Amino acid sequence: MKTNYKKIRVALAGNANVGKSIIFNYLTGLHQHIGNWPGKTVEKAVGSVYFKGFEIEIIDLPGIYSLSTYSIEEIISREFLLTEEPDIIINVVDGSILERNLLFTLQLMELELPMIMLINQIDIANEKGIRINFTKLESKLEIPVIPTIATRGIGFTKLLEKIVEIALKKDGVVHKKISYGQELEFQLERLQDAIKNSRILSSYPKRWVAFKILEEDELVLDLIQREKEKPSRKFNKDKENLNKETEIIPLSKSIIETLEEFHGHSCGELITSEKFGKINQICRDVQQIEAIQKISLRDLLDKVFLHPVLGYLLLIGIVLCLLYGVFFFGDLTSNYLLNCCENLRPDFNQIFGKGKLSEILWSSFEGFMGGITIALPYILPFYFILGVLEDSGYITRVAYLMDRFMHIIGLHGKAFIPCMLGIGCNVPGCLGCRIMERQRDRTLAIFVITLIPCTAQSIIIFALIGNYLGFHWVIILFVFILFLIMILGNLTSKILPGEPMGLIMEMVTLRKPNLKVVLLQTWFRLKEFLVIALPLIIVGSILLKILELTELLGILNKLLLPVTVGLLNLPEEIGTALIVGITRKELAVVLLGSLFGTSDLATVLNPIQMIVFALVTTFYFPCLATIAALKRELKWRKTLLILASELSLALVLGAIVSRILFVIW
Amino acid sequence: MSFHSIKKEKSTVNRSIKTVLDLNIGQSGNIVEIKGGRGVNQRLSDLGLTIGTEITILNKSPFTGPVILRVRGSSLVLGRGIAGKIYIRY
Ligand SMILES: Nc1nc2c(ncn2[C@@H]2O[C@H](COP(=O)(O)OP(=O)(O)OP(=O)(O)O)[C@@H](O)[C@H]2O)c(=O)[nH]1
Ligand SMILES: [Mg+2]
Repeated sequence: MKTNYKKIRVALAGNANVGKSIIFNYLTGLHQHIGNWPGKTVEKAVGSVYFKGFEIEIIDLPGIYSLSTYSIEEIISREFLLTEEPDIIINVVDGSILERNLLFTLQLMELELPMIMLINQIDIANEKGIRINFTKLESKLEIPVIPTIATRGIGFTKLLEKIVEIALKKDGVVHKKISYGQELEFQLERLQDAIKNSRILSSYPKRWVAFKILEEDELVLDLIQREKEKPSRKFNKDKENLNKETEIIPLSKSIIETLEEFHGHSCGELITSEKFGKINQICRDVQQIEAIQKISLRDLLDKVFLHPVLGYLLLIGIVLCLLYGVFFFGDLTSNYLLNCCENLRPDFNQIFGKGKLSEILWSSFEGFMGGITIALPYILPFYFILGVLEDSGYITRVAYLMDRFMHIIGLHGKAFIPCMLGIGCNVPGCLGCRIMERQRDRTLAIFVITLIPCTAQSIIIFALIGNYLGFHWVIILFVFILFLIMILGNLTSKILPGEPMGLIMEMVTLRKPNLKVVLLQTWFRLKEFLVIALPLIIVGSILLKILELTELLGILNKLLLPVTVGLLNLPEEIGTALIVGITRKELAVVLLGSLFGTSDLATVLNPIQMIVFALVTTFYFPCLATIAALKRELKWRKTLLILASELSLALVLGAIVSRILFVIW
Repeated sequence: MSFHSIKKEKSTVNRSIKTVLDLNIGQSGNIVEIKGGRGVNQRLSDLGLTIGTEITILNKSPFTGPVILRVRGSSLVLGRGIAGKIYIRY
C-alpha cells in the first residue's frame, strides 16, 4: 500500500441504472455487476484509485430513487451517506432522464456534503434529441457538473481532477438552499428551530431532518423516540432539554396536520410535488428537447418485444434457441474434449505405472478434465447470451411480459429478473431478490429460485438426459420442472401471510449491447466457476478415489441403500453421487463415471433411473454456496425450513416418478 | 392544487376523471389523485408521479398485464392493480 498518499473517500450515488458501477469499475479496475436493468448493485462495494498524490477511495452504492426507506437498497445507501459521511458525494445522473433524476439530487443536497454531479449517458441523451446546458445547470445548483459517457471512458479525468480540487479546498463548500413554497418554508423553519436543541438530531443536517420529520420517516421518528426515552435516567440535569425534545413530536404532528388539511395529500407527497415543481423550472431553463421525427430502430424493436403476440413468440423462440444452442454447442465440444481425455489414459499409465498413487493422481486429473469438459462448454455460451440479454435491456421487457404469469406464483414481473439470474447461478439469483420491495415477496422469490435448475444443474440434465435420451427429453423435463415450480410457488404464496405488492419498475432504454461489457461479464462469471468450483471438483474426485480405495465408499452406499435402492430404485453406487452433489451439483454427474468405472452410463443406468436421478438432484438440496446465500438473506429458521421441504419433495417426487414411469415405460 | 379545487372537480366534472387503465395507448392525461396507500404513493411520487403530472400511455398489455407509461422523460411499468389506483383527468 502507498502509505504517504492522502486519502479521500467519495461515494457514487444516484438513481438505479444510471451507470454508477460502470464508472466504479472503470476507475478502480474492479468488476461490479453491470447490466441494463435497475437494481443490480445490492450492496456497497469499495475500491481505490491513485491520482496526483491522493488515494481516492470510491464506494459504489445501490441505485435508489429517493432517500426514503422504502426498499433495502434505499436503507443501505442512506445509512452509508448519513453515518459514514464520505468526503464527497458523486451524484451520477442519467442525462436522458434528467428531470426524474434531479429529485434525488435535491435530496442529496440536503445532506450538506460536498458534491459533484456527473451527467452520464449523454450519448443516449443526444440520440433522443436532448441537449443540456451544463454550465447553466452548474450555476443553478451551485454544484460542479461534469458530462460523461461511461461506456467510452469520457469525462473521467475531469472527474478525478475535480475530486482533488475539492479535497484541496481549505474552506468548506457553501451549500445552496433550494427554497420551496412560502408556507412549507415557514413550517420547515419552525421545525428546524426545535431540532436545534435536540442532541441526537442536531448531529444531522437540520433541514434534512425537518423534511424527514414531515415525511414521517420511520427511522428518524425512531431516533426522536429513543432520545425522548433516554434522558429520563439522569432526570435533573437534562430536564430542560427533555422539554425541548418532547416538543418536537407534538409540533410536527400539528404541522403535518395543517399541511395535509390544506393540500389534501400526505406531507411526503406534498414535499416531492414541491421539489418536482422546482425541478421543472430548472429543466425548462437548462434542457432542450427536439422532437425526433423518424421512428427509431429502438422504438420499432420495442414494438415487437412488447407486442402481445409477437413478444411472447419471440420470447419462447429465444428460450428454445438458448436451450438448443447451449445443448448443441456443449454436446459437441464436451464430447470432443472427453475423447481427447480418454486417449491420454494409456500414456498416463505408461508414465505413472498402475499403483494406488497413480490412480489417485489420475482421478484428480479426471476430475479436472470432467469439470472443464462438462461444465465449460455449457456455462460459457449460457453466460454470454445472458450477458447480451442483460446489457441490451431485453431483460426488463421479459419482466413486463412475464408479469401476469408471475402472479400465478404470487409474485410480480420484477421477480422474473432474479429468476433469470438464478438460471445462471442460484447465488446471485437469491441476492438479486433484494429488488423485491417486501419481505414476503423476497422470501417467496428466493424459495422459487432455489427450485430453479442453475447451469450446474442443467449440465446434469444435458449431459445425462440429453446425451442418452435425446433433446426432446430435455425439453420434457424442463417443462415438467417449470410446472412443478409454478404449483409449488402458488401453494407457498397462499401459505405466506401478506398481500403481494404490485409491479412498479423502471423500463430502461433499449441499447446496443456493449461487447466489451458482455465479454468481461462472461469472463468474471466464468472465473468464479474456475476459482470456486473447479478446485472443489478436483478435491472431490480425489476424496472419492481415496474412499473407494479404502472401501469406505461401500459402507456409505450401504447406509443410503434404503433411500437409493429402496425408495428411488437407483443403483446403490449413486448414494455417493447424491452426497457429493450437495457441494456442487455438476460434481454428481462428473463423478458418476468414476463411481461406476465406465464412461458409458447407458450400461449402468436405465432411462427411468436417469430421469429420476436428474429430478432428485434438481430438487433435493441447493448447493452449499446457495445454502450460504439463503442463510444470509433469510436467516437459519427459514433456510432450514426450505431445505427440509425440498429434501422431502425430492424424495417423494423421485419415488412417485420412478414408479409411474416403470408402469408406463 | 388545493384540496378545495380537487373536491369541486370530482363532483362537477366527474365524467372526465378516469384511471390510467381507461386510457388507450398514445393518450395522455394529468394525474388528479393516487389512491395507493402511504407506501405506494410515496414510491410513485419518488418516481415522478405527483399530482398534476402529465403522463402518456406507451403500452398496455391486454387482460391482466401491466401498463407502460411515460412520465418526466422516463418509462415506468406499473402492474394493473397499481395503475387502476391512479386517477387521471384528460
Ligand atoms: N450508451 C451508454 N450506456 C451506458 C453509459 N453508462 C452506462 N451505460 C450502460 O448503462 C447500464 C447500467 O450501467 P450500470 O453501471 O450497471 O448502472 P448502475 O448505476 O450501477 O445500476 P444499479 O446498480 O442497478 O443501480 C449498462 O448497460 C451500461 O452499459 C453511457 O454513458 N452510455
Ligand atoms: Mg450498480
